[in-house]
Amino acid sequence: MTEVARPAAAGGGSGIDHSGLLVAARDLEVRHGSFVAIGSSSFDVPRVGVVSVIGPNGSGKSTLLSALAGLLPIASGQLRVLGEEPHHARRRMSYVMQSTPVPRVTPITVREVVGLGRFAQLGMFGRFRAGDRRAVSEALARMEISQLAHRHMHELSGGQRQRVLIAQGIVQEHDLLVLDEPLTGLDITSAATIDALIHEQRADGNSVILTTHDLDEARAADWVVLVSGRVLASGSPELVCTRRNLEEAYGLGGTHEWEGFLDDPAHDGHDHRH
Amino acid sequence: MSLIEWFTEPFALGFQQRALLAAVLAGLMCSIVGTWLVLRGMSFFGDAFTHGVVPGIAAAVAFEFSPLLGAAIAAAVMVLLIEVVHRTTSLSQDTAIGLLFVGMLALGVVIISRVDSYTGSLTSILFGDALGVTREGLARQAVLGAFVVAASLVLYRPLLTLSFNESKAELLGMHPRMAHTALLVLIATAVIGSFQAVGTLLVFGLLVGPAATAALVARTVPRMMAWAAVLAVCSVWLGLVLSYHLGTAASATMAIIPVILFFLVLPISTSVNSRRQLREGAGEVVGAAVTAVEPG
Repeated sequence: MTEVARPAAAGGGSGIDHSGLLVAARDLEVRHGSFVAIGSSSFDVPRVGVVSVIGPNGSGKSTLLSALAGLLPIASGQLRVLGEEPHHARRRMSYVMQSTPVPRVTPITVREVVGLGRFAQLGMFGRFRAGDRRAVSEALARMEISQLAHRHMHELSGGQRQRVLIAQGIVQEHDLLVLDEPLTGLDITSAATIDALIHEQRADGNSVILTTHDLDEARAADWVVLVSGRVLASGSPELVCTRRNLEEAYGLGGTHEWEGFLDDPAHDGHDHRH
Repeated sequence: MSLIEWFTEPFALGFQQRALLAAVLAGLMCSIVGTWLVLRGMSFFGDAFTHGVVPGIAAAVAFEFSPLLGAAIAAAVMVLLIEVVHRTTSLSQDTAIGLLFVGMLALGVVIISRVDSYTGSLTSILFGDALGVTREGLARQAVLGAFVVAASLVLYRPLLTLSFNESKAELLGMHPRMAHTALLVLIATAVIGSFQAVGTLLVFGLLVGPAATAALVARTVPRMMAWAAVLAVCSVWLGLVLSYHLGTAASATMAIIPVILFFLVLPISTSVNSRRQLREGAGEVVGAAVTAVEPG
């Protein structure tokens, strides 16, 4: 196991010091039924601005994010997010899933979709006040979708939908924003808007964990987690994005040039944004 | 006969007014719950449910206890068995519902065939007896109706987020599983509260018809609910008027109106929507239903 930059204090089993850590995992195992999606992994992620999770398709990136968000129960081991059990950390975390299928029949406008994000704080009965409406308007403006406010989800393009779902994510109060492939297969405008938002979140003192297939993007992050059936490495981009690690994760020979996009079918190579 | 008389004459007598009230109450509670039923894509479940209560009511008629209690027990048994089949086998929920649908209906007919007035009892269970509604029946129905409408509004956020996306509902702390169970209870209550007036077979028409028509025209869930309620009330009223003048079966006439309305509204809504898309979506990509990418 290529364990990189794992703090020495992390040892010692149960008595983990979670303070200041974004994520702490000890012998973490996550399953889909009997299938082990993430084999026993121990790693830490400090409280940094942007964390990139990289790995081949089907390597368990989304599974890891679902476990972080408490959507998927962990099979064994320990997992702490923001120093808490994932389920409890949800109050301080906003998770935008890779795909959020919305039934076409549901008559719900973009503004309402974004407003759902406020329910995390308001609960079932908390009144939707002027402050909430303002937060929704700001999120719509931030993602440049104010003009779509009265449209329905199925009337939007893929990029517009993604911006709506991210607006729903940022309208929810959070210290940590978790984005599953926020930039995959998007038009240039949507990708640029989302990319700018990620940097803005970092500047505001929030943390962002995102999955990506873009190696340049991963290298630009503050921290990288490399996943392939288990967490192979966790550390600074220079330490993790080495040829040896990537070859181990992606199982490719030494002739491959480790530049640009990794095995992402959604990119055709003409879509570079950086 | 003037036009006004044509509309008021069918409600001149006490039992006719009670029929109208009972039908309006049934229409209101079914259309509000029906909105969530249609949004959740649970129409087949709703259909099966309306037939699944038949053995409970049949047993109540045969052994002389409260039909409401019988219907409630049958509904609970049905939901439990659907869950058992769904969880212990690889069969789809659809198959489980189908099994229970036919099983419960057949059991109901078997039970009722032991009763002397077989045809009469079965007819009144399946097709209701709007003109035979009593004051006590009305009062009971009003209580159940108030419960259903209130609960549908109280659970608005969990049910709305569940209709949006189940995982997101979970992430937002909107307890989707609780909301789903609550919806089953509400459907059962609406069926139980309405079957005496419109019958178990046709209560389904009030659950799905107005809500489906409302889905064609409404852009938000509250408007869909409001439209469904208005359509349901108009349908039962018009249905009773027509059945009086045409001499047709009351509950069937009430049930057929929302379906006719649906097909009248359909071409209008289709042309309005396509014009809207042309207006708003000019030059943009429209209609990306679901952006599904292989999970990484």
